Amino acid sequence: MDATVFGAWVATGLTLLIFSFLYKDNPLFKLAEHLYVGVSVGYTIVKAYDTVLVHLVVKPIVEQGEISLLIPVAIGMLMLTRYVPKAAWMSRYAFAFIVGMGAGLAIPRTISSFILKQVEDTIRPLLSLAGSDGVTFSMNLLNPASNLNAIIILLGVSSVLFYFFFSIEHTGVGKAVARTGIIFLMISFGAAFGYTVMARMSLLIGRLTDLIEYSDASYGRPTIWLLIATVGALIVLSRRSRTGGQKEQ
Amino acid sequence: MSFAERMLKIDRRIIFVMIGLCTLLPLLYPVGLPIKISSEVRGVYDHIESLPERSVFLMSIDFDPASKPELYPQAIALLRHAFSKNLRVVTMTLWVSGTGMADQIVTQVAKEMGKEYGTDYAFLGWSPGGSAVIINMGQDLSSAFPSDYGGRRTKELPVLSGVRSLKDVGYMVSLGAGRPGVEEWYVFGKDKYKFELGGGCTGVMAPGLYPLLRSGQINGLIGGLRGAAEYESLIDQKGQAVAGMDAQSATHIAIIVLVIICNVFYLSLRRAARSHGQIG
Repeated sequence: MDATVFGAWVATGLTLLIFSFLYKDNPLFKLAEHLYVGVSVGYTIVKAYDTVLVHLVVKPIVEQGEISLLIPVAIGMLMLTRYVPKAAWMSRYAFAFIVGMGAGLAIPRTISSFILKQVEDTIRPLLSLAGSDGVTFSMNLLNPASNLNAIIILLGVSSVLFYFFFSIEHTGVGKAVARTGIIFLMISFGAAFGYTVMARMSLLIGRLTDLIEYSDASYGRPTIWLLIATVGALIVLSRRSRTGGQKEQ
Repeated sequence: MSFAERMLKIDRRIIFVMIGLCTLLPLLYPVGLPIKISSEVRGVYDHIESLPERSVFLMSIDFDPASKPELYPQAIALLRHAFSKNLRVVTMTLWVSGTGMADQIVTQVAKEMGKEYGTDYAFLGWSPGGSAVIINMGQDLSSAFPSDYGGRRTKELPVLSGVRSLKDVGYMVSLGAGRPGVEEWYVFGKDKYKFELGGGCTGVMAPGLYPLLRSGQINGLIGGLRGAAEYESLIDQKGQAVAGMDAQSATHIAIIVLVIICNVFYLSLRRAARSHGQIG
């Protein structure tokens, strides 16, 4: 059995074990779930060890004499003092370095990218000046840069911001604006949910595509054999839990 | 118990079977529904088309096997397009758990397109630090990746000749399934080092990235399996994503029908309860 065929059997088996949760929670699902977590963590540890410790720390220091790397290594080692209660205070220096550097890097860039640029894009001219045509107003809803879309965005941003403004009571005109904000929020949640459904269905399509491929004779038809085995195991487990429950009663 | 009440308390496993069948049957018997190309996907395609030969195309494969069904077809389609345009393809990942899969994707497409490692393409692998890696690459690419995935010195790779930092990249696409991903490439990369950036993402992430698209912070966006199918249609190499579109449409129709039916039953129950004076 070559690696591809073996991989097909493993992938099919684990997919079916995970799918068995759709029937009900069972030990087969738990087995696959724990395997997934274990393999993911194991893979990450091995890759991190090989890439970070071996290739980025040990080799450059030993083979190329890059002694300056000992500084980040020392800061990193301070993190491990968390496990020694008497020396745990030393880890604060490492955390302070990470938090300080992270905040310093992230705050100005995030403000620039997500606040200033987005505000700049929201405040667009509601009417356009187009050469000899003078003032124009484009109504194309499909064009994100049209004037009609600029007005919709302005209405949406203003009403949603007002909805989250709780210092005054939402009555009269305020109530109408807040309600408009809710409508914009609902449309946005609906779009997000629609995309989420699409994404989840894509994952199902991906697994079913593989199961169809692995039902081929060149792989030894793992989909068919393992489906029979999984269903059989679920029936046995179900009967066993039923008889166990009756004995307890 | 009325019919509506029974339907609203239906065993959820019946719905699972319905959705399963709606997905499985179109995969077994494809219909070939038409695929309309959106402007956001065309944005990425057009930019790659506009690049001169031997320009540097950087692709960051920022996902792991959990997001493979959506992003794997995108990666395959983008790599095929870039290789067919004879670009210098440089790939990497910011996700440690996706390293092996990323290597397999790049190697597979390069082999299929007859490209040579080191001259036509390279896989730099993974480097720790997330967004800090992007900043590091913006200053000095070889310090972020002293060696590639196979341990070769990046400075000695012909595909990277003349590429000192992100400023020397012709086009960059991040295929992201979360963080770090497209947003980090914009915030710590494009915004500071001024290179052209496109994005690919899972369907869940797409609505959150549309504001970046509209404001021109990214010049194109491939969203989910649907985006991958559009890209496959654009390069005229229909693959996994196009094959899945019939199933996607069928499941969407099934879900819409179920939502409508549930609402009809819910409203009929509400009306019945109101007529019996149970609700205000």
